[in-house]
Amino acid sequence: MTKANSTKTKGSQTKSSEGSSAVTVARDLSRRAYLTMLEARLLEEKLAALYRSGKIVGGVFLGRGQEALSVALGVHLRRGDIYAPLIRDQAGRLAFGDTTLDTLRTYLGSSLGSMRGRDGNIHRGRPSEGYHAMISHLGAMVSTVCGGLVAKRFRGEKGAVGATCIGEGGTSTGSFHEGMNMAAVENLPLVVVVANNQYSYSTPNDRQFACSDLLSKAVGYGVAGHRAVGNDLVDCLGVIGEAVAAARRGEGPQLVVADLLRLVGHGEHDDASYIPEAMKKSPLGRDCLELARHSLIEREWLSHEEADSWHKAVEKEVEETASKVMREPAPDPSEEDWNAFASPSLGRNLKLGGI
Amino acid sequence: MPLPPLPLAGTLSLEGSREPMSSITYLEAIRLAQQRALKEDPRVFIYGQDIGVFGGAFKATKNLAKEFPGRVLDAPISEDAMVGLAIGAAVEGMRPIVEMQFADFSTCGFNQIVNQAATLHYRTGTHCPIVVRLPSGGTPGSGPFHSQSMEAIYAHYPGLVVMTPATVEDAYTMLLEAIELEDPVIFCEHKFLYYHLKAENLPATVGEALPFGKARIARPGRDATIVAYSAMVHEALAAAEELIQDGYEIEVVDLRTVRPIDTDTILASVARTGRLLVVGEAWPWGGVAAEVIARVATEGFGLLDAPPQRLNAKETPVPYHPALWGTHRPTASSVANSLRQLLEL
Amino acid sequence: MFPSPDSPKLLPVIMPQLGESIAEATIVSVTFAVGDRVEADKDLLEVETNKAVMGVTAPCGGILRELSATIGESYAVGATLGYLEISDEDAERLGLNDAPPPPVEKPKKKKALGISGAGEAESIKPSRKAVEPTVSGLPVPAHAGGASFLSPRMKARMAELGLHAADLAGVAGSGAGGRVTIDDLERFLQDLERNTISPASSMRVAVADAMRRSWTRPLATVVLPIQLDILLAHRKLQAVKAGPALYALRALAITLSEMPTVAGRLIGDRVIHPRSIDIGFAVEAEDGVLVPVIRHADQSPLVDLIGRYNRLVELARARRLPGSDTGGSIATITNYGVFGLTMATPIPLPEQSILLGMGAGRITPFWDQEKKAFVPVTEAQFTLSFDHRVLDGGAAGRLLQRVSNLLSAPEEL
Repeated sequence: MTKANSTKTKGSQTKSSEGSSAVTVARDLSRRAYLTMLEARLLEEKLAALYRSGKIVGGVFLGRGQEALSVALGVHLRRGDIYAPLIRDQAGRLAFGDTTLDTLRTYLGSSLGSMRGRDGNIHRGRPSEGYHAMISHLGAMVSTVCGGLVAKRFRGEKGAVGATCIGEGGTSTGSFHEGMNMAAVENLPLVVVVANNQYSYSTPNDRQFACSDLLSKAVGYGVAGHRAVGNDLVDCLGVIGEAVAAARRGEGPQLVVADLLRLVGHGEHDDASYIPEAMKKSPLGRDCLELARHSLIEREWLSHEEADSWHKAVEKEVEETASKVMREPAPDPSEEDWNAFASPSLGRNLKLGGI
Repeated sequence: MPLPPLPLAGTLSLEGSREPMSSITYLEAIRLAQQRALKEDPRVFIYGQDIGVFGGAFKATKNLAKEFPGRVLDAPISEDAMVGLAIGAAVEGMRPIVEMQFADFSTCGFNQIVNQAATLHYRTGTHCPIVVRLPSGGTPGSGPFHSQSMEAIYAHYPGLVVMTPATVEDAYTMLLEAIELEDPVIFCEHKFLYYHLKAENLPATVGEALPFGKARIARPGRDATIVAYSAMVHEALAAAEELIQDGYEIEVVDLRTVRPIDTDTILASVARTGRLLVVGEAWPWGGVAAEVIARVATEGFGLLDAPPQRLNAKETPVPYHPALWGTHRPTASSVANSLRQLLEL
Repeated sequence: MFPSPDSPKLLPVIMPQLGESIAEATIVSVTFAVGDRVEADKDLLEVETNKAVMGVTAPCGGILRELSATIGESYAVGATLGYLEISDEDAERLGLNDAPPPPVEKPKKKKALGISGAGEAESIKPSRKAVEPTVSGLPVPAHAGGASFLSPRMKARMAELGLHAADLAGVAGSGAGGRVTIDDLERFLQDLERNTISPASSMRVAVADAMRRSWTRPLATVVLPIQLDILLAHRKLQAVKAGPALYALRALAITLSEMPTVAGRLIGDRVIHPRSIDIGFAVEAEDGVLVPVIRHADQSPLVDLIGRYNRLVELARARRLPGSDTGGSIATITNYGVFGLTMATPIPLPEQSILLGMGAGRITPFWDQEKKAFVPVTEAQFTLSFDHRVLDGGAAGRLLQRVSNLLSAPEEL
């Protein structure tokens, strides 16, 4: 069944209808979220610059314009949850515990990064800590998160949720479908956030799906649905917070669909010239970071000075971290064991032809 | 017109009528292994279609859902999600077994197997101890989508262990080993052997058996070596019997696992005989037979007294009609034929 | 057994294939008794597989004549459960009157496969085919193409034993195209053990190797009789006497300084010219031949070579020839005449293109044109064995003629 649209209204109406401790929580959460968005934005600008100066090899995929949506999920997760972020989830990742350091290390191919050069850019994670390293095949992580939740259920662990994000394009895949269906059949505490950012690479929505509203899929799968305004931080925090809470309460899978606009190319190799100007200039195209700053300042949850000083501090940290990482060693092929197996007995024979 | 006799009729025991009750089929060995694993390791659970109350399309999980409530679960028709779920559960410390209803349907979950399960340890250092059971191989009338042998395709990807037991005992011990391994295992169980192959006893412990990864000399010989695996081991043994009256002693090597391949045992056998025939039920291109021959040619060139030969299925999808199917894949007599040619080289 | 026209037409009732990989089924109930008439497609009995209880239907209407199925027993798919007597028309339609198909093989007793895989130890007496040559009577296969194929295993074994293809010339091949297989080789070697065997000296092995390598070239020999009377008269007058071989050596040296390319070597498409006229001469040593060398033989007169020559002969015979006095020669002299041989076709050293041979001198009649009578002369056959790739009969002949001229003017040597 589809939950009613839980868009919150702004302004004092909200404030006066809640207890002051709830406001404090909302305020602290929003401030933390904003700071994380800022970190994500500035870090990614650095990554873009490094890419364009030839320091990063391979692809760079940024989440500019999606920081609010992504961070809104990340800040509601806690240790013990299972999170499979996707391409544009830098903000969510930082909220969940990933670091600027490891991000830069993975992008710059440092042998000290969590992936040790064996995979790069957004394919990073620490699965044994609940932070999955996505594979490129969109939709595959949905069932993977389900599996982790099934394991927790076997062990009698209560209260954990699983979370993943996906673009509207990813919802076309068979594996998304199978994963959602399975989550519903197993009644798992899974939260799936669909970032409907209007374009899958260069493919507009009318070439991606025909249903008039992606949220109808919730009915199809038999799960709860929520709608969020994708570039509005406060709205996202509210809607996704509720979705996560519902999952934790045992109400089964929660599908969140948010409309927004991708403010970058599909990757840094792409200029997104196929996105029409009109769309970029519409409310959908407004930058969530600016909106969030404005929104928080308006509520007096943040001051200009704080925002500016945060900006400077983050910029400095990013710069220093990047310099440090660029001095770190690349992986050495002669030091690799070139072994894909975990079992000790299978690693020994490393001749040509191997095992 | 009567149907042609079942291939393997001459080699395997079809004495169904007067078997003592203690006789264990290959299928039952698999069932018993799963039962034992469920009993002894709380991390084990089984996920597959129709495996719950129904006990599985081949009854490989008969009564297990009842004996272990909540641990033998019916999955929707979603091979991709089934494997994805297994991977996610394994990351969280479980030991999932995924039963594909037929090996042929594993292609629907191919992406999760080769791109996530096989790569997880290499990329992240996290283990992925899943077992994917594939009912493999042909039976009369099963047709192109219920007959395939997929071992070469999975063996191609580093990170996957691929097992192909040919005996009742191996089906039992190797499945138990597979569950305990830290690596993802593709367990290719042969459908024809399910009910046609029987044994009197099972080994009491895994330690009593040859460890996985070691090949077995199924029949010692002198004049030529046949390397085979799964159901083809029995065809090879029958062919070896046939060649006795020609005065030849043929050695048969049962690979048992296709990845890792026990190159040492194969080379030792070729050192003894100098002549090699590799038999596989799957197609020749890039298959297990090709891999074995490549290794022998590279590492044992000076052992070969004749060019190595391979015998595989004909290069078409597996046909439906038993008359066509009977000649599509190697049989005892086509193996014997190939042997005679090899011996005359 | 062919059914006779009058015997009842009996159609077997077969256990059908009732599912994927089902091998057998158990009889649960029997609907009809022997003697009953049954209709086509009606259930005759019920069986249970692992998956379900199913009916086995009559393939045709008829009378149930025999039923061997017992309730509670399992029967294999394809097993005969009974017989229906059917009408002639039905028998015709179903092809029952045709020759019976070859009998379904009874399942053979399967050999127990233990974990180790060794079956019951049967005493196998292989009737091993005797190795027969491909062409009767000839130990060497006539089929050149097949016989020359050496498998990798053969090559590895031959390398291990230090054998060459030449050593296998006498081995009959039992393999495809008459090739020698590893078994043929091992049997051949084993068979040799029945003979008396003594080790070959290193000298013998070295000579064998040199001759084998030399023989890979196309070699030919030309002969010229040379009269030695003048030379013998010259020798008589010398205080210190040179042997006939040394006379020949000097003559050859001068000849080669005039026509050096006949002693050249052909490598690919290039003729490698000799650097200096160093000439060797064959000396029989224990179990073989040594070849000491006179360096720059064209530059010293005969008298100056005598001492050097004699010393070298002594050293060679004593097997104490230093390395510097052997090897590097461009041609060799061999005096097989000392053995009484008048003619021979010796084999040049592998790195040389020519070998000058001297036969025994004999007194023979020679037709003196002036005297119009046969006069006795001392004559020896001189042979030039040569690598026919480097020079032809003409050049060989010219060389021998020049040597002959020089031997008839020994004061110039």
